[in-house]
Amino acid sequence: MKRLLFALFCLLSLTARASEPVATTADATESENFNPGEMILHHIGDSHEWHWFTLGETHVTTYLPVIAYRAGSGLSVFSSHELAEGKVHEGLKLEHEHLVSTDGAKVYDFSITKNVATLMIASALLLIVFISVARGYAKRGTAAPRGMQSFFEPLIIFIRDEVAKKSIGPKYERYMPYLLTVFFFIWFSNLLGLLPGGANLTGNIAVTLTLAAITLLITLFSSNKNYWAHIFATPGVPKPLLFIMIPVELIGVVVKPFSLMVRLFANITAGHIVTLSFISLIFIFRNIGIAPISIAFGLFIFFLELLVAILQAYIFTLLTAMYIGGAVEDHHDADYQIGGGDGAAPAQAH
Amino acid sequence: MASPVKPPDNPDNPDNRSDRLRTVARYSGIGMQMAATIGLSTWAGYSLDKHYQTNTPWFTLGLMLLGLFAALYNVIRAVSKGE
Repeated sequence: MKRLLFALFCLLSLTARASEPVATTADATESENFNPGEMILHHIGDSHEWHWFTLGETHVTTYLPVIAYRAGSGLSVFSSHELAEGKVHEGLKLEHEHLVSTDGAKVYDFSITKNVATLMIASALLLIVFISVARGYAKRGTAAPRGMQSFFEPLIIFIRDEVAKKSIGPKYERYMPYLLTVFFFIWFSNLLGLLPGGANLTGNIAVTLTLAAITLLITLFSSNKNYWAHIFATPGVPKPLLFIMIPVELIGVVVKPFSLMVRLFANITAGHIVTLSFISLIFIFRNIGIAPISIAFGLFIFFLELLVAILQAYIFTLLTAMYIGGAVEDHHDADYQIGGGDGAAPAQAH
Repeated sequence: MASPVKPPDNPDNPDNRSDRLRTVARYSGIGMQMAATIGLSTWAGYSLDKHYQTNTPWFTLGLMLLGLFAALYNVIRAVSKGE
């Protein structure tokens, strides 16, 4: 994997260097020039319209609603078709996918963008699937599951037994709804992002930021006395050292969800970039010989991404459960190990 | 494969397999946290220096060292905690 990534890095930096001088000279002469960096960034970014594919000169695009609020002119709602190809509508225009006002006023953009639309689709899909699963339990009770229910039951049991019970302990039941929601939401969104024409929802840092912020809030609100005692009066630390230990512990509180946010964002975005880079090779070299290699590697990464989709959902859920578990547990083994003394014996028993 | 009783250290045992996955996730989380701690505190120091326009980047230096210490402390604590 490391070697593969290194090879890829070489390839990517090569193309970046190769395309740079071309861009300056070709800007005025031809628009046919293929810019892989721009294409990839466009693919992983958010946009106000949903571009599916282009056949020759025909673009197949779904125009999504633009909802913008400006302090002066109030709310404006219209189709993003009005803004296509740099047009100005109601004093608004798109600059690199950012909605800006022509008079320089601040724009609050509440548009249903591609990512927001995908978020809604993912939520609707979750609702449809899990309402049907829940109906199965209501109808059949503890009898053998059927249909969709029998596919999701092992996953739900896995999250309950292997993630929640082992990480949180006896109080796990309260957190099951959140853990299951976050697991299936991330998994479904990752898979939706892998569909042709799909949006890169979990590769958007705002989405992962929101998920991580919810995890942080749940951890903080379910924390007990032990958790805070550990932060503001770390056991086994002499009093004069506390002025340095308190910031260190507080950094730890923020960093845990921050690392959740970055991991999910980076993994999904990296997967998309790698797949697209392999496909781009065909257009960079303009050579039919390169196509089989490029497609084989692209396909390999794509299947790897199918695995990463569920793995990242699992890791996010597991680490969330561990952070919650750290906040609700009654005693800390670590206390004994750092403090030593009479507490060292029970720590050995674990 | 045929024997119904699996030895405890058999990787085919589903309990062990999920525990191993769990360990992988846990340690990868610790590594990620270490990187994030140093990165986040350095960034905070850098932006504080920019905001106060200091001649010597004391905030960057101080917060970076604090972040380094915090990262090491958290790693040591997390790995010595065990399960």
